[in-house]
Amino acid sequence: MANDDGPALELVGLTKAFNGTRAADGVSLAVPRGALLGLVGPNGAGKTTSISMAVGLLRPDAGTARVLGVDMWSDPVGAKRLLGVLPDGLSLPERLTGGELLTHWGGLRGLERGLVRERAGELLRVLELEEADDRGVLIAEYSTGMRKKIGLATALLHAPRVLVLDEPYEAVDPVSARVLTAILRRFTDGGGTVVVSSHVMALVEGLADRVAIIARGRVLADGTLDGVRGPDATLEDTFVRLVGAREVGEDELAWLSS
Amino acid sequence: MAVVLIRLKLALMRHSFTGMRVLGLVLALLGAALTWYLAVSSPGPRVRSDLLPLVFAVWAAAWALGPTVANGAGTLRSQYFALLPMDRRRTGALLLVTAFVDLGPALTLVASAALVWHGASLSAGAALVAVPAALLLWVSLISLSRLVFRALGAAMHSRLGMEIASVQWGLFLALIFFGWMAVQPALAATLELRDRGLGEGPTGALLAALPTSWPVHAVDAAGAGAWGSALGWLAATALTSLVLASVTAVLLAPRVTARGVRRRGRPPGARPLSRPARAVLPGTPLGAVVGKELRQWWRDPWRGLEVRASLWAGLFIGLLAWSSDTFSFFAPFAGVICAFIMVLATANMYGHDGTALWLTAVGQGPGTARADVRGRQIAIALLSAPGALALSVLFIVLTGEHWAWPYVLTGLAAVFGAGSGLSLLFSVVALSPGVDPQLRVDANDSGDNQVQVWLSLLSLPVLASPAVLAAVFLGLAGAPWAAVPVGVANGLLGALWLGRIAHRRLDGRLPETFTRIRYGKAVALQAVPEAGSLLDRLERTAISGNEETRPQGS
Ligand SMILES: Nc1ncnc2c1ncn2[C@@H]1O[C@H](COP(=O)(O)OP(=O)(O)O)[C@@H](O)[C@H]1O
Ligand SMILES: [Mg+2]
Repeated sequence: MANDDGPALELVGLTKAFNGTRAADGVSLAVPRGALLGLVGPNGAGKTTSISMAVGLLRPDAGTARVLGVDMWSDPVGAKRLLGVLPDGLSLPERLTGGELLTHWGGLRGLERGLVRERAGELLRVLELEEADDRGVLIAEYSTGMRKKIGLATALLHAPRVLVLDEPYEAVDPVSARVLTAILRRFTDGGGTVVVSSHVMALVEGLADRVAIIARGRVLADGTLDGVRGPDATLEDTFVRLVGAREVGEDELAWLSS
Repeated sequence: MAVVLIRLKLALMRHSFTGMRVLGLVLALLGAALTWYLAVSSPGPRVRSDLLPLVFAVWAAAWALGPTVANGAGTLRSQYFALLPMDRRRTGALLLVTAFVDLGPALTLVASAALVWHGASLSAGAALVAVPAALLLWVSLISLSRLVFRALGAAMHSRLGMEIASVQWGLFLALIFFGWMAVQPALAATLELRDRGLGEGPTGALLAALPTSWPVHAVDAAGAGAWGSALGWLAATALTSLVLASVTAVLLAPRVTARGVRRRGRPPGARPLSRPARAVLPGTPLGAVVGKELRQWWRDPWRGLEVRASLWAGLFIGLLAWSSDTFSFFAPFAGVICAFIMVLATANMYGHDGTALWLTAVGQGPGTARADVRGRQIAIALLSAPGALALSVLFIVLTGEHWAWPYVLTGLAAVFGAGSGLSLLFSVVALSPGVDPQLRVDANDSGDNQVQVWLSLLSLPVLASPAVLAAVFLGLAGAPWAAVPVGVANGLLGALWLGRIAHRRLDGRLPETFTRIRYGKAVALQAVPEAGSLLDRLERTAISGNEETRPQGS
């Protein structure tokens, strides 16, 4: 079972190559308990790939991950019990309503029925999906933001101790985003640990207390927000300093303003 | 599947598209020639007014099925025009009009004109009525063709469309498997027909009632001087054409609504969390999977199509067998055939669900994979057994072949049981993802599984052979009922044993299975040992043998 000290989530040299190119190249991270870590990087940096290997969705070519000391790849059942996951852009059982999905999911995870009903009702209410559920809206008919929210509800339902969320804020409206942030804060205040990936630096800056910057499959910086930012004014500046940025020259795309 | 055999056929035909088109034209030419030959050579107007309804019904059937068979989806799709600054209805009407401008329709018009010949042989007045009647018939035929073809594309947007697609696929499957049963008697009958007409009998009465026969009735009535009823039939024909054409124009209009079946109100069986129903299923992982699967089967049009098509196929095969003298003993087995087709239809369940497998992977507990596989088996059995059973009862009672009971029951038990294990085993090992469920639009989007279909066609008879042998020998020994327990045992063992292999494989390879769906062929192949076990080799075969419907990307 989980040990009592050490990091909540550890990625150890996670590596994965797709068709010869390394999408993740020795990704190592240690997330202390109670932390809210923002994993930032541009599109295609390897965030989703690294997260997938950490949560047991993608078997790494090398390296492993540990959740509260439990090794994901030698004791997957033990590690997965401690973990709540929101993947990015995947299907759900599309022909269920939100409430039915949570009921199914609770049953599949072996939770007691009354408990599931109670928690699911509360989650739907807090995430403002209750009205859709009352109308019998199927997940197939949900908007992208609603899909994120019901996905988050599935991640939270079994009261995990570590949350790993892939692009949870994408396509979520500002009001729901505040709710989401409040939920994550409540979670870390209670001793839980959160990893959030995003390609929006400013968002992470206002949310996380730790950040890790990843680009081309490698972790370029990892630490507290202030530590990583150092002398730079914003996280974006740090990112540009580390990765370099392409500027649009005077004469490029000139026809756009003609 | 349903779908699969057809797709298989379509894939073959797409590659020889021009060939198919030429073949289609040749057939249309032959059809027009045959129509005129029958019209001209028949001994008199009486026989002719018997023959023309038959001929026009065949034209209608050919037009309804032909285009789908000849070219999958390669035609102008109305979505292409969705962004044009033009009224949707108008676009639809225009697209319908363009359908008339082609060689096939032109030949059809020539064939319809045989009606005018028929009219002219009766009286001048009848010839006059025959002209609009033939034109209206022509409009109906071509519209019907577009309607059916478009219904396939729109199948996933309305219950009616889905039902039409199911009927069509069912009919097509029935013809592929058992069309030969109908050919020989049909040939023999046609030769006699030319001389005698249909005469009295149920077939003639049925034909006479078809809308394609109404124009002929109008002409006949005019020939007899019954102008009232002539105008009546003509009006009915006009109405049919109008309805067909306008429904088709609407269907051809580009769609801008969300995908999936449109519905009003709550989907069947859905209750809000705040007002829960009394739970029927146990609150275990197994109960959860069964509940989810039953709902998905009931509500997902892609799944619905598979189930309906196999039911329709069973029905058509039964009817085909029943209507042929030589093979009518086979009609009671329509339900068994339906069960067989259901096995093919469910041989790619994890491909159907696409990346939704992440839930099982991330929520993996000690018995999750087992519950997932067993729950699906139970749901499929609950869902398909009643239909297959009803078909069996229907045909045994209709044909009065009550000797068939023990054989049918033995067959049903063996095919359902062994098939349920087999289809889940293939669903895991030979899984083939299609377009991910939340992105699906077309009827063909749910993944290619020709490998599973062929393997099932070969292995299911082998797996059910103990029951078949028992039925044959015990039947010969005069104790056919003793075969039923053998069939049940055969089925149960198959379901338990193959299902067990399936869930163990899934449990050990959840991430790999997910990878297959999420990252596509190339990445999936890396995760299967090259010289592995039988299952590994089967997996490699399926990955490389099935077409990738669309890369999943990231
Ligand atoms: N199915 C796939 N096949 C091949 N390469 C892939 C696939 N999915 C992702 N990749 C590659 O892996 C790299 C990392 O992708 P990903 O982890 O999704 O990035 P992020 O989540 O940071 O945007 C990208 O370069 C991408 O091209
Ligand atoms: Mg990503």
